Amino acid sequence: MTLASSLVLLSGIAVLWRHSLAAYIRAFARQSFLIVVAMVLVAAQTGDERLYLVAALVFLIKVVLIPNVLQRVQRHVGADLEIHPYVNTPASLVITGALTLLSYGVALPVTALGSLPTRGGIPLALATVFVGLFILVSRKSALSQIIGFLILENGIALLAVLATFGVPLIVELGVFLDVLLGVLVMQVFVYRIRETFDTVDVDRLKKLRH
Amino acid sequence: MPPSFEVIGFLGIMAVSYIAAAAAALLFEDDRARRVTGLLSAAGALSGMGAAALGLAAGGSSVLELPSALPEAALEFSLDALSAAYLLLIGLVGVPAAIYSLGYGPERAVGAVDGALGRHSTGWRPARAIVPLFLLAMSLVVLANSVFTFLLFWEVMSLASYFLVIGRGDSPENLSAGRWYAGMAHAGFAAIAAALWLAAAGTEAGRFEEIRQAAGMLAPAARHAVFLLALLGFGSKAGVLPLHAWLPRAHPAAPSHVSALMSGVMLKIGMYGLLRVGLDLLGGGPPWWGGLVLALGVVSALGGILSALVENDLKRLLAYSSVENIGIIFIAVGIGLVFQSYGMAGLASMALAAALYHAINHAAFKGLLFLGSGAVLQATGTRNMEEMGGLIKRMPQTALCFLVGSTAIAALPPLNGFASEWMIFQSLLAGAAIPYPLMAAMMAIAAGTLALTGGLAAVCFVKAFGIPFLAMPRTAAAEEAREVPRTMRLGMGLLASACVLLGVLPFAAAPILSRAFFGMPGLSDTPAAFRLGLVMEAGAGASAISPTALALCLLAAGGAIPLAFRLAGSSRALRRAETWGCGRAVQSPRMEYTSTAFAEPLRRVFADLYRPAKTLDIEFHPESKYFVRSIQYQSRIRAWFEDAVYRPLFGLARPLAGTGRLIQSGSLHLYIAYIVAALLALLLLARWM
Repeated sequence: MTLASSLVLLSGIAVLWRHSLAAYIRAFARQSFLIVVAMVLVAAQTGDERLYLVAALVFLIKVVLIPNVLQRVQRHVGADLEIHPYVNTPASLVITGALTLLSYGVALPVTALGSLPTRGGIPLALATVFVGLFILVSRKSALSQIIGFLILENGIALLAVLATFGVPLIVELGVFLDVLLGVLVMQVFVYRIRETFDTVDVDRLKKLRH
Repeated sequence: MPPSFEVIGFLGIMAVSYIAAAAAALLFEDDRARRVTGLLSAAGALSGMGAAALGLAAGGSSVLELPSALPEAALEFSLDALSAAYLLLIGLVGVPAAIYSLGYGPERAVGAVDGALGRHSTGWRPARAIVPLFLLAMSLVVLANSVFTFLLFWEVMSLASYFLVIGRGDSPENLSAGRWYAGMAHAGFAAIAAALWLAAAGTEAGRFEEIRQAAGMLAPAARHAVFLLALLGFGSKAGVLPLHAWLPRAHPAAPSHVSALMSGVMLKIGMYGLLRVGLDLLGGGPPWWGGLVLALGVVSALGGILSALVENDLKRLLAYSSVENIGIIFIAVGIGLVFQSYGMAGLASMALAAALYHAINHAAFKGLLFLGSGAVLQATGTRNMEEMGGLIKRMPQTALCFLVGSTAIAALPPLNGFASEWMIFQSLLAGAAIPYPLMAAMMAIAAGTLALTGGLAAVCFVKAFGIPFLAMPRTAAAEEAREVPRTMRLGMGLLASACVLLGVLPFAAAPILSRAFFGMPGLSDTPAAFRLGLVMEAGAGASAISPTALALCLLAAGGAIPLAFRLAGSSRALRRAETWGCGRAVQSPRMEYTSTAFAEPLRRVFADLYRPAKTLDIEFHPESKYFVRSIQYQSRIRAWFEDAVYRPLFGLARPLAGTGRLIQSGSLHLYIAYIVAALLALLLLARWM
């Protein structure tokens, strides 16, 4: 379990040392797949059939559907490289390390007191949330923004599975719908940003300031 | 108790009509949009009045809670007598204003009017959609029964009127007015929010009943803080001096039927808030609360009318006169609070009823005057009285309505302004019964100032009626003015009849006035101190007057004089002759009394207050200085008072705002970084605190 969570975190961090947007999307798909694995493991451990259903849905939406949409967007937009992020790769990795340490610190009371078999993964899931946020802050391309958001969302999903063995099905379904619609809306926005500014560099949105 | 089926029905129709009116404004094309929106708004205001009438008749208060996911953010409404009174007031101006708006707009403008009217936003679709929302928000503010509901709709009301003030946003004058208004409205909102949250601190969901029960347990300092913050916030909405600065800017900038709503209704919502918080929720306080309100009222009444007197812009004049009338209302509210804190329940009821009466009356005549000024604006294309004149011959019906409004606001019998001011005077005079000399003396001073204010108001409205409507037209635009469309005249006519009816038949208002404060702490439920019948009695039989009889006498006298002449056998043949022209050969509009000239004597009397700045440029003939080529005389009155109060505030706020702007870089990443930083900080705080 902890291993699966570590791999989830690692594939999130992978985004930070790659520059190609295609690699970002692959990293996200890989991460989502690892989450499916983690879910299946938890389901096997607890014998909760509903989690299998959720895992299947995650697979369908986050491993197949969303990466597909994103690849289409990426082909449409054309640019393949995340050039000049605000924070360069070595510094990004150092910061991510610090964030991971921090999430271990924050989650310490939970892991120390809890008796969950999955408690080892909780700080890692939290760290994934932070990595997602860090990508949102430090990367410029609109597509990387979407990836950052999705990684953040993956972190939350993982945290939910590990800490509570899955939230009620109806909530899970709602979240899926949210994420899917979110990605579709963001896709439209990326097209619009490109049309308006002739680039997908979100930094240009600064010009909207009065 | 839950509201009756009929009340829910009426309120539902009200809300649906207003929302449908807003939708119609956006969906339909110009002419149809105006018709549908106007009619639906009128229907909404009318059903609001229906609900209010039922609520008044049923007595007590009925509570309606809408389902919500968050208990602290639930929408909860209640209809009690005080809300019902204000709902009636909203309808009183709302219905005529909506009817008036059917004919009002630049497309219908008569004569060469592009400049002044073109700036107006009535033709702009979103603006037309905002008017019904503004009405809806005001109705829901007075119905609100929890802190959250109240603040939510208060803000909607402020925002709606802000957008109506700036209109399309393409005129610097409107934008500047909007900035003043937005600034003061938000400062006021902050004060109100602080007051209400402070009062609701110990309660579960901020319901008004809970606050009412918990108010007794509040520490005295907290009670005072709540009252002072409420006075600050509601005072800035009501426009009492020195918080009135937005009023003379925003009212002229808005389209005229919106000015009528803002001045006639929205200012009263400020008064409603003060009554609701100070009297209902807190249950009254020490005498100095009332004394403070009274003092603010006196200053506003005098300051407002003095500013109105020297104003040449018709709508600005009306706006300043609203400051004066709000002052008069605050005087009455102040006396009421003072009486209440001394335990003189009967007199307190009388003073508060007088305040409410004057609020309703002011809504009627100020609404009427603003609609009238809009008609004049539409017909002449200007708000400057110096460019009007002679309109009575060109717009006789508008002139008649405006005359009724002017007479009412000057508090001449038998119109409604007289009836309510008479009651306020009686309350002030009854103040002599207060056992504390200082407070009793204050009442006497207030009565004196109120009398002075009344006199000045009469002068002011002689000017406001005389200069635009009488004598000869001063410009071509005034010459070409034509009567406005029938719907506009109907709107004005409704309010003019309300002015007459409320004055001649004061008992028509009695059910509202005697029930509005029913059950409030420290007031007598049976208003023995005053009676509004055919004869108005005040101060337990101390004095009485009958406006109805007075009106009949006036009517009889008015009829008797011609009758006498006829009996005496005078010839009734009509003779037309020149007016006596003091021996001048030609009469031209340049010889007329101007608005400035009319106010000049009073300007000299009060020169210390006005501090006028004069510049006189005389160009002499180069040969001899006994021959003058041209004389330029300019006299300006700067609002030194506003400068003194607001300059330092601006000076303080500007650097702060500049610093605040630093974090607003416009960069998306930075904003997300703020969120991350806040999240991390909270996590760390939760971990290591």
